Amino acid sequence: MTDDILVVNKLTKQFGGLKAVGGQGGLSFNVKRGALVGLIGPNGAGKSTTFNLISGVLEPSSGSVALNGKDLSNIKSSEIASHGLGRTFQTPRAFTSLSVLENVMVGAGSTGERLTSVFSGSWRTDEADIKSKAIEVLQQVGLDDRIGDIVANLSGGELRMLEVARQLIRDPEILLLDEPTAGVDPSLQGKLSSILVDLHNEGRTLIVVEHNLHFLLSIADVVIVLQNGELLAEGTPNEIKNDQRVISAYLGDEYAA
Amino acid sequence: MNIEQLLLAVLTYGCLYSVMTVSLNLQYARGGMINFGTVAYFAAGAYAYAIFTQEPPSGLDQYAFGFNSPWWVGFIAAGVAAFLFAIVTGWPTLRLRGEYLALTTFAFAEVLHSIFLNERRIGNGSVGLSNVNRPDFSWIGMSDNYGFAGAAILLLMFTAFLCHRILASPYGRAIDAVRDDETAAEAVGKDIKRLRFEIFVISAVPVGFAGALYAMITTLVSPGLFTAEVTFFVWIALILGGEHTIKGAIFGTLALILFEEVVRSFNFETVRSAEIAASVEHIMTGIIFIMILRWQPFDRFTKKEAVQ
Repeated sequence: MTDDILVVNKLTKQFGGLKAVGGQGGLSFNVKRGALVGLIGPNGAGKSTTFNLISGVLEPSSGSVALNGKDLSNIKSSEIASHGLGRTFQTPRAFTSLSVLENVMVGAGSTGERLTSVFSGSWRTDEADIKSKAIEVLQQVGLDDRIGDIVANLSGGELRMLEVARQLIRDPEILLLDEPTAGVDPSLQGKLSSILVDLHNEGRTLIVVEHNLHFLLSIADVVIVLQNGELLAEGTPNEIKNDQRVISAYLGDEYAA
Repeated sequence: MNIEQLLLAVLTYGCLYSVMTVSLNLQYARGGMINFGTVAYFAAGAYAYAIFTQEPPSGLDQYAFGFNSPWWVGFIAAGVAAFLFAIVTGWPTLRLRGEYLALTTFAFAEVLHSIFLNERRIGNGSVGLSNVNRPDFSWIGMSDNYGFAGAAILLLMFTAFLCHRILASPYGRAIDAVRDDETAAEAVGKDIKRLRFEIFVISAVPVGFAGALYAMITTLVSPGLFTAEVTFFVWIALILGGEHTIKGAIFGTLALILFEEVVRSFNFETVRSAEIAASVEHIMTGIIFIMILRWQPFDRFTKKEAVQ
């Protein structure tokens, strides 16, 4: 097995006539196993679209994505999730009719989701394990005091943590986080960054889309910068901080030296 | 008015229609699928039962098939027929959402209705199949009326048990998640197409059984009995009772059937007064419907139960 967990190769996506991702030659980048990758770029650069293409929510117009050497073309997003890829969404998505605990439990693929085991009742033995695992990941993201609550009572930041917990119970090899700090207050951001670092230390691969550069550059190993759907720059946080193209793309030309 | 007859009728038809309401509750309130073709699975069950149990055609009969099977073979055939029809209708349509699914299921039901009406080799066309065989309850010492009431109750209990078992398991949690947010459900590995399809097909089976029971009770199946009115009746009953709970679906149906049967049980001196009563029944149904939607008494009742 190679060192690259994720290989994005000449990926393009067109909406109507507009190219959202890919530009001229398509978007290509590799992600090393166990890396914490930051994905940044101005609004409309194609960050979330790239996430949607990798996770199978959108189908690429051309190009391919490979996870652990396996080509993900024509694979449903639910199957990609089962291959160990977890993701959160730019706008947090929660199952509003389920409680906080159930929202996490539903993330675990129970045998009780097969009709045959529904009637044999064999899922009951797994259920206690799933429940204790769910409580464990809720503790990990700091939501253990909201376990019995309904989702409607959670704040925007808590919903983001709930999404992370729902993915963590699946024990994903690679986790794609779309703007995890958006709407999260500064005190929780510190907590969030320590959670991400913990996940990183556990050996998981993380790709994080973020506008909060201070937050991201402090934790990322590698930063990929997108602009207009194309790769603008790739490097360590220090290299990116001093890259004139990145500064002008993000802050405007007057800040570039 | 004969109270005993009235209560038996309410119980029999109430439970029979509740089977459909509870199935629809599973499909719609939990599965998020709007099926406006419920009557089709009901009709498929009724016709399958009649065809399997009737004698082979003779003389002036226009129908082509009759297998003279015992009632229980016909009953099983009814469930299978509804199951197969759900596969045929569900497979191409379930990728559709909301009102598009509603329209296509409605269209499928109309197509089936039209086939029964025009293809005489299935069920004698508009005349229908009469003298449908019914099981004999005398061996357990019951009159037919009580026997069918008991059968309807048993069928409803079976359906409610089936739905409860599904919804109280991780399977129910997964279909709730799919209904709430398909994209997020896929992101945690839920195969939404499989889950929706399974719920759609499995909830059609009790409706097919109900069709068989209906054919036994009325001893007649004809296209005129299986119109979109049946579908709308079931929908109104479900909304009256308040979605989401099995109890609510049953209460709503029983209330609606009770109201109809009470109106029907009045004796009328003249044809004119019976006509007026029929119109008033429709108006009253509408008014009660609006009142219940406004105050949702049954919904509140079942919710209170849920909290305790």
